[in-house]
Amino acid sequence: MNTSFLLFALLNPLFALLAAPLYMALIRKVKAYAQGRKGPRLFQVYYDLRKLMKKEAVYSPTSSWVMRFTPYLNLSTLLVCSLFVPLVFVPEPAGGLGNIIVFLYLLALERFFTALGGLDAGSAFGGMGSSRSMSLAAVIEPTMVVAFAALAFVLKSLNLHHMFALTAGTVLPISPTLVLVSISLFIILIVETGRLPVDNPATHLELTMINEAMILEQTGKNLALLELAHALKQFLLMGILINTILPVGLSTEIDAGKIAVSAILFLLKAGLLAIIIGLFESALAKMRLFRLPAFYVMAFFFSALTILIEVFA
Amino acid sequence: MLEALVYGAIAALISGTVLPLLYRSKNTRKTSFGLSLISSILLLGFAGAILYTGKEPVFPAIRYLPGLDFTLAADRLSAGFILLIAAVVPGVSIYSVEYVEHAKSESRKNLQTALTNLFILAMLMVVLAGNMVIFLIFWEIMSLSSLLLVLHDYSSEENKKAGFFYFVMTNISTAFLFVGFISLFKLTGSAEFGPLEYSASELALPFLSLFIGFGVKAGLVPFHKWLPYAHPAAPSSVSALMSGVMLKVAVYGFLRFLLSVFTPELWWGVLILTVGSLSALFGVIYALKENDIKRLLAYSSIENIGIIFTGIGLYVIFKVEGLESLALLSLAGACFHAFNHALFKSLLFLCAGSIVHATGTRNIEAFGGLVKTMPVTSALFMIGSVSIAALPPTNGFAGELLLYQAFFQSFAVTDPLLTVFLITALSSFALTGALAAALFVKLFGITCLAMPRSEKSRLAVEVQKPMLIGSAVPAALCILAGLFSKQLLSLAGWEIEFPDLLLLGLLLGLIYAALFLIIRSKETSPARISETWGCGSPTLAPYMEYSSAGFSEPLVMIFKNIYRTKIVHKAEYLDKQESLFKNGNVEIRLLRFFEEYLYIPPAQAIESFSKYVSSLQNGKLDSYVLYAFLAVIALIIATGGLV
Repeated sequence: MNTSFLLFALLNPLFALLAAPLYMALIRKVKAYAQGRKGPRLFQVYYDLRKLMKKEAVYSPTSSWVMRFTPYLNLSTLLVCSLFVPLVFVPEPAGGLGNIIVFLYLLALERFFTALGGLDAGSAFGGMGSSRSMSLAAVIEPTMVVAFAALAFVLKSLNLHHMFALTAGTVLPISPTLVLVSISLFIILIVETGRLPVDNPATHLELTMINEAMILEQTGKNLALLELAHALKQFLLMGILINTILPVGLSTEIDAGKIAVSAILFLLKAGLLAIIIGLFESALAKMRLFRLPAFYVMAFFFSALTILIEVFA
Repeated sequence: MLEALVYGAIAALISGTVLPLLYRSKNTRKTSFGLSLISSILLLGFAGAILYTGKEPVFPAIRYLPGLDFTLAADRLSAGFILLIAAVVPGVSIYSVEYVEHAKSESRKNLQTALTNLFILAMLMVVLAGNMVIFLIFWEIMSLSSLLLVLHDYSSEENKKAGFFYFVMTNISTAFLFVGFISLFKLTGSAEFGPLEYSASELALPFLSLFIGFGVKAGLVPFHKWLPYAHPAAPSSVSALMSGVMLKVAVYGFLRFLLSVFTPELWWGVLILTVGSLSALFGVIYALKENDIKRLLAYSSIENIGIIFTGIGLYVIFKVEGLESLALLSLAGACFHAFNHALFKSLLFLCAGSIVHATGTRNIEAFGGLVKTMPVTSALFMIGSVSIAALPPTNGFAGELLLYQAFFQSFAVTDPLLTVFLITALSSFALTGALAAALFVKLFGITCLAMPRSEKSRLAVEVQKPMLIGSAVPAALCILAGLFSKQLLSLAGWEIEFPDLLLLGLLLGLIYAALFLIIRSKETSPARISETWGCGSPTLAPYMEYSSAGFSEPLVMIFKNIYRTKIVHKAEYLDKQESLFKNGNVEIRLLRFFEEYLYIPPAQAIESFSKYVSSLQNGKLDSYVLYAFLAVIALIIATGGLV
């Protein structure tokens, strides 16, 4: 462990934690504009979280420790995940913690416990959400793994730190194949954060909700923790996409000025991506559940194509 | 010194086998399981020392027949698998002390104890065998002792069928091994395990027959059908041993030949990887549809064996392609996953045994709410589920991580066709992993969470201490082997670039504790208890909950081409012309593809052939003499006259 990494380990999770809720709100705002509404304030999600934090938790008598354990575990998992994804600066490498496979499986850990939490209260909604979430996660998994394998193959490393050290400092993606991977990463971002056309984050209709159904019985602080974990997950996946395709400004040195510029640039880029996501969501209707595998195959195709192009080139 | 440890372990296991046959009392059974516990501790020291120091013990050869020696041998490979045995046996022994007392009669209790010890002994000796003859002898003892254990409750019709199925399959396995061994013996004239220098075409037959022989025993698709039959029939402690250890002994046998006898070819690797991937995928897909807890775990074993063979296949491919470090990574992944699977699958089978004992049923749909009625078993079951779903920082993840690392770096292979093949295998591997996670959310969620789905589950009580401690041993090992995976791998001599899961686990734990304390300290209002929202209905009933079948329905829909259904008409008529209908039924059920297209046709052919042959058997001495005479004549002609 060197000082640069320790600094990173403090700053990166903090930055992610503070900035993540903003983009939940921004996407909502964009969607509202697209529908001709004014939409919530940009800081609405922060207010919501503060309100929830103050509220008591309500538990079902059917529920067990699993439901109480899950929110804390999810946020801790995502905080550990944030150590894997350099957002505004890449520290000197400090090996040992893990690679992208560990990152992917930490996300799986979060999903596993969210699904169990959904089953815990004995409500049919929760069961339905868990069942759908695990099923769709199973179908998207090959795509995710192949997309990250493609990323690893193009950038010649298993570690996101090394990858972004390679992309940092360039304006455009260093290899044209990264554009192809980015299409897959975008679809993965949509799927993993439960957005249209896969899941509708703004619904409470039993036929259409997946993620919402699993956390339906969660209340108060626990709900706040889960919402925060969800926002963090979205922010980290956005970070991977941004630093892959548009790494301009990403700093590799510990320098206050450079990091500040990089942070501002990152926030702007993330804002742009959030607007794109919002427009993407507004333009599409929710797909039928059993049509979704075909949507995933598209992402799979782009990732597999990347690897093949790299092999033959 | 090292040798003494093995002799001690063997002596303990032999006395553990003989004692319960002589004296029929509870204390004898306790002593007997105590002896197997002692043997596993001795073996732990033995295997650990070999793996750590790399020194191989020397065993004297005892000549029992001209040209045939009784030799034992142990190198690093066998030490790895002895370590596996030594890791599984303690939990099973402690568990069995109580579990065996649930058997129907005094004599069955003793028989089960003796056979369990014999079974452990046989598995140990297979791994220690110094040549092919010894290997086969103990292989057969292992098969037969496990067969008797599968048949322990022989009065039920279902178990009889299971036992018969297992008997046939295990003999097919042995028959293929015989073919393999004899063809190797024909080439070399020796029964030793030594490197061979023969052309690829000469080695194809021995390789294929050994692959099938070990594949049947390990439960590779399409030879997997005996597992879902044998496991529900066997006592749970035996299922834990069979699934945890015996399948790995078959893996050991295959690796023994692959590593120290053959020089592999590329197509071997492709074949092994294909069969491995398909087994993994089919295993988990069939498991998703299953509602019998033990059968579900049996299918999941098929999946994990598939993962191990995926690793072996990768090893062969990288070895042939000259990528030594990746080959080593894959081999380490396969072996480590074998070790991990032994731990978490024995844990899961032991927990399943406790649950089945407490509720009296194996049907998942009848469980529910066990986290309240059986809190300790549920917590242990949770550890097993998290491990087998390969979630960090447990050991299940560590093994799969090695294989993922090998896959991710495999695109250094320059052959385009091979790259396409590896991408396909990688996607199938990832799909398997995610489906396993879905499977164990279903198993744990439906079994332990929410409201009890039946009276049996509502009235379930926690099992006695030995069964809890017995399950806690593998559970603790699962967590330790996960956290210390990097250290374990380097102790075993594998210097591999590998994430430190201990660091990861500590970080997770620390952040969790910090979050928990911060939020607890700010707490102003206590938590409230209130009913689950039921859309306005006054009370929620268990039948409104999501069921096991309901949970897997989306995946069943997505993979509906694999779960093919079959419509079966059965009708009886009053007359021969089949015009007056008497009664009948129509059923729609899952097509048992492998059974109906692969197993039953040859079985029917054999049956009709034996019917034909049995007409020769007419009970008259003179016709038998005639047969013998004809046989001698035929032999003389076949061998080209008397030489």
